[in-house]
Amino acid sequence: MLEHLAPQIVNGLMLGAFYASIAIGLSLIMNLTGVINMAHGSFLTLGGYFAFMLAAIGAPFAVVLIAAPILTALVGLAIERGLMRPLYGRDPLYSLLLTFGLSLIAEEVYRLIWGSNGVPVSAPASLQGGVSFGAFQVPTIQLFTAAVLVIAMSALWLFLNRTRFGLRLRAAVQDTEMIAALGTNTQVLYMVNFCLGVLLAGLAGVLAATQLGLNPTSGNALLMPAFVTVIVGGMGSLLGAIAGGLLIGMTISLMTLFFPAASDVSMYIIMAVILLIRPRGLFGEEGLFG
Amino acid sequence: MSDALLIADAVSKKFGGVQAVDRVSIEVGRGSIHAVIGPNGAGKTTFFNTLSGFFFPDSGTVRFDGADITNEPNWRRIGRGMSRTFQTPSIFPDLSVHQNLLIGTQAKRGVAFRLTLPNAKQRDEIEARVDELLGFVGLAAAKSRTVSELSHGSQRLVEIAMSLSTDPKLVLLDEPMAGLAEAETDRVISVIRDLHDRLGLTVLFVEHNMRVVLSLAHRITVLDRGRLLAEGSPAEIAADVAVRDAYLGKEVIEHV
Amino acid sequence: MNRNRGIIAGLAVLVVLAFGPWIGGIVHIDTSFLSEVLLTAIAAMGVNILLGYTGLPIFGNAALFGLGAYGAGLSIKNLHVGFVVAILLGIAAALVGALIIAPFLLRRRNIYFGLLSLAFGQVFYFIAYRYSDVTGGEDGMSFARPPIALGPLHGAVDETGMYYITYALFAIAIVSFWLIVRSPFGKTLVAIKQNELRVRYLGLNADRFILVGILIAAVYAGLAGALYGLLLRFAFPLLLDWHESGDFILMTMLGGAGTIFGPLVGAIIFVIGKDIISTITPAWEIFLGGFFIACVLGFPKGILGSIGDALARGRVTAEPAEELVPAVAIDQARATIQSDSVQ
Repeated sequence: MLEHLAPQIVNGLMLGAFYASIAIGLSLIMNLTGVINMAHGSFLTLGGYFAFMLAAIGAPFAVVLIAAPILTALVGLAIERGLMRPLYGRDPLYSLLLTFGLSLIAEEVYRLIWGSNGVPVSAPASLQGGVSFGAFQVPTIQLFTAAVLVIAMSALWLFLNRTRFGLRLRAAVQDTEMIAALGTNTQVLYMVNFCLGVLLAGLAGVLAATQLGLNPTSGNALLMPAFVTVIVGGMGSLLGAIAGGLLIGMTISLMTLFFPAASDVSMYIIMAVILLIRPRGLFGEEGLFG
Repeated sequence: MSDALLIADAVSKKFGGVQAVDRVSIEVGRGSIHAVIGPNGAGKTTFFNTLSGFFFPDSGTVRFDGADITNEPNWRRIGRGMSRTFQTPSIFPDLSVHQNLLIGTQAKRGVAFRLTLPNAKQRDEIEARVDELLGFVGLAAAKSRTVSELSHGSQRLVEIAMSLSTDPKLVLLDEPMAGLAEAETDRVISVIRDLHDRLGLTVLFVEHNMRVVLSLAHRITVLDRGRLLAEGSPAEIAADVAVRDAYLGKEVIEHV
Repeated sequence: MNRNRGIIAGLAVLVVLAFGPWIGGIVHIDTSFLSEVLLTAIAAMGVNILLGYTGLPIFGNAALFGLGAYGAGLSIKNLHVGFVVAILLGIAAALVGALIIAPFLLRRRNIYFGLLSLAFGQVFYFIAYRYSDVTGGEDGMSFARPPIALGPLHGAVDETGMYYITYALFAIAIVSFWLIVRSPFGKTLVAIKQNELRVRYLGLNADRFILVGILIAAVYAGLAGALYGLLLRFAFPLLLDWHESGDFILMTMLGGAGTIFGPLVGAIIFVIGKDIISTITPAWEIFLGGFFIACVLGFPKGILGSIGDALARGRVTAEPAEELVPAVAIDQARATIQSDSVQ
């Protein structure tokens, strides 16, 4: 039994790390600006495609892992400054619709450039294969993925809680007007915040591409579980994104073992149950976003 | 005392780590004008919010007209005869003054939740009531104006008229003078006095302006840092040393 | 005066639409295509009542639309019902769906409301996708278009018949929409959009109003979905996907959210535009996305909304000088304060 269960648990942890890091990126953007980034999945996919291109020109995986997210974040920067900035004063619904439009454009552009069928992105040979834990084997790439994402999320935590800029960012979530009155350049804050979210998405996208495949819509497939994670974990809480991610990742993974037919609906069932018991989510703040 | 319209007993409310309101009690006498004052951060608005159902207290009770309303939803309290204004006038900005008053007037007459239009007789009665409310605050000329275009003081008057549209017994006013110019302040003061003198309503209001408070209120409750500091008539409060200290700070008194 | 002009314009539109198939023949547009435009407009009305009038971004409209299509289709396949009952059961399916998700949605507003409606909409999408025994799964479900038996209307429904049934239902839908938004209920929805807190502090349970708004949206969406299923004789899971919801929101915004004919204008532009562009290039989604962005950045009030604004500005009203602070009142107030001042 353990031989079947253990790999699923590890898989669940890895999926959890994926959903958590994507959800954190979404939450960062949502908390500060109220914008739901419907193009977040497109950034995931973009990270994968940048990885593909970099690998095609011979870059080693270590470089890809750093460069692809950065390139993705640069694209995010351009979009934030050019398209999203004019909408900040307005109802966040407009920004939501803008990002929705972007996701449509992105999908089609990816299709035009790289085709509908998907391209391969492979991890280096050193990460293929598995690690033995007594009776069962765990794919190295899964452990690596989980480790990288945990490191990234920890780095983000350090940034938010141990640097001055991070402090200003957290203060701005509470009260943007006050922070602006105190002299902080809120434009820069918004920009960095958005790029951080996209950076995480790009990183997750590279890692996802190595295991889940890469085609114009692969990022969107990860977006829905990320939304559910944000709802379950609670809007406004990064810790909630992590907890929610783990919960959803484990649920999907274990369901695939026990009840495969229900595995995609299972996360919605969890969502509904949690919303009934605790409407604000696991770590959500009361009264935020209505 | 059955003479009290609103009784709060040891109401407390905590936010995060801060005890915003700490076991505050109040008794608002029927037909009186009662003021709640205190320095910034005293918890006045938070206290108001528990009384009016903006949120519920952590502990303590609130009784209105004999009934326990501690955890009752805010919209139900309006039906019992409570109404409220907010520090920033809470109105419908893009609608006309007339439409602003229509919503509450229709609600009171139970015709809001209808897909059918009220009949001619009802419509006339509703329109007459709207005109009456407008006349009371002196805004009859502004009836078709969009509220967001009005001056701050006029918006405040619209809000007060809206709070009357539900035929309340008790009107809670949260810093009604906030942001008003001198001339507008006097107008609002006279309207508040009229609420009591002409309409026989009970008024509970939060205010910073001591001059206004001392001239209007029959009774004053003083809060400081979430606690009840003093309670009494304007004369008693004006003479109260602890109140002076809370407002001005001990150092200033010593230097006088 | 303005209201009468609006009524006349609306009636003119309905009269023109009555000649749909004839006009379509001249400009070489399929009658069934025109039917699709009208029923899409009905679905967009559902979005409009919540988004345009109540200020709630509903992202699950497609799920209710899809429930209407599957409701009609399943009842035809399994219960062998006629045309009219199929439509009614489609609406019923959408209402049931709305009643299931409403308790969750009612606790939230704004973006969170949108996110929840999106997530719950996806639940229905996955159900349609997964339970292929019942729904046909990814490949969809085809069914016959039953004959109609309603009073004088008897017999098989061809494309022209389909258009006139859709047209009649559209006319009923738009008139009922007009009646709803001018009713006290509708006016309260608008007030909720302006300031829900104040609506509560006027003694109204805003949740109750929003619930009924959601149910009204479900009726429109379910009706449109049932008609769509009957039009195509087919239902498929992608109908319920959130991208479809996004389309409905776009056309509502494009035509003018918060206006009565906005959804129709948006539906016409969207459905016909999409068709034209997709014959020119397979990359039509880029244009769709671009359209979204252009609309949001430059045109948030949509076509009819912007026209309405322009007309309002053009109207010059003579405002009487208002005496808000009559001199007499000031003096009286001052005197009172001075006499009451404390010793």
